[in-house]
Amino acid sequence: MPICCCLAGHLELARRRDLYGTPVVVADAEGLVIAVSEEALPFSVEPGIPVRQAEHLCPHATLLTSDPIEADGLRERIAAALYDLAPCIEVRSEGIAWLDLEGVPSPSESIREARRRIRTAIGREPRLGLAPGPFSARLAAARARPGRLLKIDDARAFLAPLPTRELSLDDEQMERLDLLGLRTLGAVASIGPRELESQLGREGRRAVLLARGLEPDQLTPWQPPMFTSAHRQFEPPVQDREALLFVARALCGDLAEELGLRGAGAKQMRVRLVCEGGEDEARESIVRHALSSAVELFGLAGSWIKSWQPHAPINEMWIELPVLEAAGRRQLRLWTGGDGNSDEVTAALERLQERHGDAVVRKPRPLLPSSPIPSQRFA
Amino acid sequence: MQVQARPLGGKTETLDHAIEAIRVRFGSQALTRVAELPPPLPWPSRTPLDRLTGIGGLPRGRLTLLTGTGTCGKLTLALALLAQATQEFAHAVVIDHACQFDPWAMLPFDPDLGSLTVITPPSAEAAGEAASALARAGAGFILLMGEIPEPWLAPMEAGAARSGAVVVGVVDAPGRALAHASSLSLRFTPAGWIYERGQLVGLNVGARCSKNKLAPPVGESDLQVFYPVPPHLSGEVRWGRQLSTPAQQQEIECQSAAV
Repeated sequence: MPICCCLAGHLELARRRDLYGTPVVVADAEGLVIAVSEEALPFSVEPGIPVRQAEHLCPHATLLTSDPIEADGLRERIAAALYDLAPCIEVRSEGIAWLDLEGVPSPSESIREARRRIRTAIGREPRLGLAPGPFSARLAAARARPGRLLKIDDARAFLAPLPTRELSLDDEQMERLDLLGLRTLGAVASIGPRELESQLGREGRRAVLLARGLEPDQLTPWQPPMFTSAHRQFEPPVQDREALLFVARALCGDLAEELGLRGAGAKQMRVRLVCEGGEDEARESIVRHALSSAVELFGLAGSWIKSWQPHAPINEMWIELPVLEAAGRRQLRLWTGGDGNSDEVTAALERLQERHGDAVVRKPRPLLPSSPIPSQRFA
Repeated sequence: MQVQARPLGGKTETLDHAIEAIRVRFGSQALTRVAELPPPLPWPSRTPLDRLTGIGGLPRGRLTLLTGTGTCGKLTLALALLAQATQEFAHAVVIDHACQFDPWAMLPFDPDLGSLTVITPPSAEAAGEAASALARAGAGFILLMGEIPEPWLAPMEAGAARSGAVVVGVVDAPGRALAHASSLSLRFTPAGWIYERGQLVGLNVGARCSKNKLAPPVGESDLQVFYPVPPHLSGEVRWGRQLSTPAQQQEIECQSAAV
């Protein structure tokens, strides 16, 4: 299972690209540090410590307040960008992206493209690691230079000299490992899973498996969204068609932004008007080619609203996209040789035969290839 | 003489408004900014033609033309590409309106006939319809043996751009519409026969990129095309020296190297 890991730094840091190269500390609403730039690490500033302590340790660092919504949006954007490069991807807000390259025909091209897209998304070079599992790939990436790939063939040999703090255990468990004299992953790997499980509980067993490169953890695949909607409430109720069109355009803009963020397109669209008195009026349509831009969405919604004659003033407008498809179809390109389009090609060939006769489509089969008469060579 | 820059703010807004109006009325595909176009992905054909394209392979979703008058090796090269495509794509399609294609001629290139489909449309219109439908459906590789009518070029281009199909046309001298529709045109010129022991075994060919909308033109190439007939029973296309500058070659190699 070849896994590529891309380390891009915490996505909270990517919100302020102008601060790249300077010490930055990001704190959450509770006053705890959640992300630290590489420039602040030498000052012993680490995630999890209070902000006051971080300010004391690194007074010249820029302090930012976290914005989980924006960071999550960036995470979605990166996931959507990487979606067609590997069958299974996982992106975390900590700035870690994993690509499961199992079965991908050209892994090097996927890695190169992933590097380019992440660089575009966050504005700096990610570190890349390729290893048999997510854990070893992450550690390999952490030891690669920015923009470079560190490839690991033997995960156990690579992990052996690394310190046990890479296992992400809590302080008490780390202290216990220290008391047992287990200070490297190689030492942890040398004892049995049950022995360490008796000391640390379930985490002990997992730690041994990780240290042996057996990778007990699987990736959590990112899935493109299947439904989205936007709505606006009117106070007081609206009857003016121009106002409805104006709002519909704005809603389409919001939806298009969200679709772009997620790399999806709408195969079905529904516009619902909630009239005064609580009655609904709706129109919906299935489209042949997925709509993804604001212009396309408004082209359809606007044409309905222009001819719509609601029986009462409008309290609320909903634009719903019940079926999203485009992002899912992008992964068909991953199939070897374009097998993902086989059904459509076969259908196209059948349509040609219906229109022009069966003889128009021919699949040559060798009959007598050595025959001097050309018509006898193939069936 | 002094040239003063005039503010274009108002004109830009008007232009944006006009673009949006066209898109609303005719659809988003009616008009696209060049900057919004995705860069074409290359299909590495593993031939020196890849270097001539400037992107390391034939462009997916675009039309590539192999042109040249008379016997210049363009069909032999196209057959080599087709054989390679049959091994890499689920569907490699030949659209042969003039019934010129003989699968026997490509046997020396070791094709996978299981993925090869030959379309022999009864008319040029039907050829255009077939090319458009198959490009839209997502056939991996489409070989056009001859021209297709102008009205079908735009649907074929749009379909190929959507599905990423590699479309290659083989024509002696392309018409204006076909030449305009192509993103890459490679022109072949015969440079002399190759004889071995008094027998004609191949052809020296000069290959030149006459149109390239994908990347700056990358030099020329001399090819030696050996015909797949005795004494070369196995058949092969031997590739000659590259006339690209070393700097260009180095740049391409850097681009194609692993990360």
